[in-house]
Amino acid sequence: MASQQRASIGWARSQQASLPQGTVVTLVVATCLASAAFAATKEYRYTVGPHANISVDTQYGAISVKPGSDNEVVVTATIKSDNVEVDQQQTGNRIEIASHLLQGTDQRTGQVDYELLIPPDATVNLRSSNGPLSAERLHGDLTLEGAEAVVSVRNIDDAHVHARTMRGPITLINVHNGHVEVASISGEIHLNSVTGLLVQASSGSGRIFYDGDFGSGGDYRFITHSGDIEALVPADVSAGFRAHSMLGRVQHDFPLKPRHSRFHEEVGRSFIGTTGQASSEVVLRSFSGRIRLKQR
Amino acid sequence: MTCSDVRRALPEVLDGGPNGTVAAEFETHVQSCPECSALVSDLKLITSEARQMAASDEPSPEVWLRIAAQLRAEGLIRDPEIREPESAPAAPRPTLVPAAARRRWSAWWLAPVAAGLVAAGSYMVSHKPQRQVAQQQGPATPGSNLAPNAAQVPPTPVPDTTPVPETRADNSAPVSSPAPGLRERKPVPPNSDASSSVTSDSAISADALGATVEPMSSADDQQLLSVVSTRAPSMRATYENQLKAVNSDIRETLAYVKRNPGDADAQQHLMDAYQQKALLYQIALDRIQ
Repeated sequence: MASQQRASIGWARSQQASLPQGTVVTLVVATCLASAAFAATKEYRYTVGPHANISVDTQYGAISVKPGSDNEVVVTATIKSDNVEVDQQQTGNRIEIASHLLQGTDQRTGQVDYELLIPPDATVNLRSSNGPLSAERLHGDLTLEGAEAVVSVRNIDDAHVHARTMRGPITLINVHNGHVEVASISGEIHLNSVTGLLVQASSGSGRIFYDGDFGSGGDYRFITHSGDIEALVPADVSAGFRAHSMLGRVQHDFPLKPRHSRFHEEVGRSFIGTTGQASSEVVLRSFSGRIRLKQR
Repeated sequence: MTCSDVRRALPEVLDGGPNGTVAAEFETHVQSCPECSALVSDLKLITSEARQMAASDEPSPEVWLRIAAQLRAEGLIRDPEIREPESAPAAPRPTLVPAAARRRWSAWWLAPVAAGLVAAGSYMVSHKPQRQVAQQQGPATPGSNLAPNAAQVPPTPVPDTTPVPETRADNSAPVSSPAPGLRERKPVPPNSDASSSVTSDSAISADALGATVEPMSSADDQQLLSVVSTRAPSMRATYENQLKAVNSDIRETLAYVKRNPGDADAQQHLMDAYQQKALLYQIALDRIQ
């Protein structure tokens, strides 16, 4: 398609002197309309074994990953213009997909949207500048990265989930028994029913919101610079809490039992204490944001 | 031990290392994880270079040459190519953006910068330079010239060109000027250590910190923005705003640390702020190549 278009432009240029001006204009307009209307869908299929490794890297566009067959990866790419191509490669159990932009491509013409159906145990790496990025119902490790991409992860078990954005919001819902590390410069982080041995979230100016029970035996760390931190937990939560904001207010409405700590408590700026058996450790830190631990 | 545990233990290791089981687990993980191994190597190099640079205000040209040689040897930087002048301009034709593998090299200078930012924060948090300086110099008299003391503190590996807001240590000290946009923020609570008469140790440490913790190189930031402008012009404003925000966070935290030099939490927040900037560089590294 691209070569045909280039050929037609070249032919038009060579014939420009001999063609009437109206014909040239018509050709140019027709070419532009053809480009604008361009949207191609391509499908790629790969046979893989257990624990395949799948990477998708696109400068612009959405990536969505869902579980499919146990031994097959199906990638559907919707390409918005012929200024972008899809490079794809399989090496054994490893599949790499990347959008390949031609020179002069912008966000509109360089967009490729990907939909993947993959074995649930596959390891997945997704990258897109503007996203959105989403993954659901999987139990392989996930890495999602995007500057402005909205990141959404749902119903993930027994997996490591790493996500980072510049200002895109990150939402994790029903992620259990994993190792979660999410970070954003200014994006909000929303964790709903997320538990695991390590759950770590950090944002510079974005807010961190946690709604869940902090599981059992986990290490939870939520850190912001100026963003607020709010945790909404049930009354029977079992955790040890340490919260501190250098310049912001800190509140909780739990009857916390005091605990020995080398950190001194400063009313209104920090609290330290436990509820239940204190089976999980929760650290909430902010430089100038507010911290609030609320009972559901 | 996980990658995250290793990163947490790293400052202690660079300080001389933990012992017993932790050390064994650390070593085991580092030997088996290329990413952590590379990080440890980089930080050790940066730390050792920083120590060598501690004795002078400015690093000698040899230091920069050695760093440049090492980066060049590792393929992280390259000399600019010299092209022969073309006899006639080639006819314009559609060309592909360079292949992904080749594109990645062009922005690899960001990697050591990002590592340096984390290392600088880590170094600052873990080394507590004010105590070392105070011990070396003995009690300073109020109003003494503190510049030589500051020079004892290892400077950061990246030359600094960003203006630093001055700090108000006490009523007689130079007046603190918060970073732009910070005046509306919540005021710092009165701190007895900072607002009352300041000991000579804390006065020294405030200056020492000022000399130490400013790895915000506007030169690097400008280079980053320049690359963004070239490769993703539409993203320039976004990156510029984000850089301003993280630099502002660093300055704000730095000012607090200067006022409260013994506050471990504040130092941890300073480390966090540096990590935010490193994250921004990492995202740029991944996305604008």
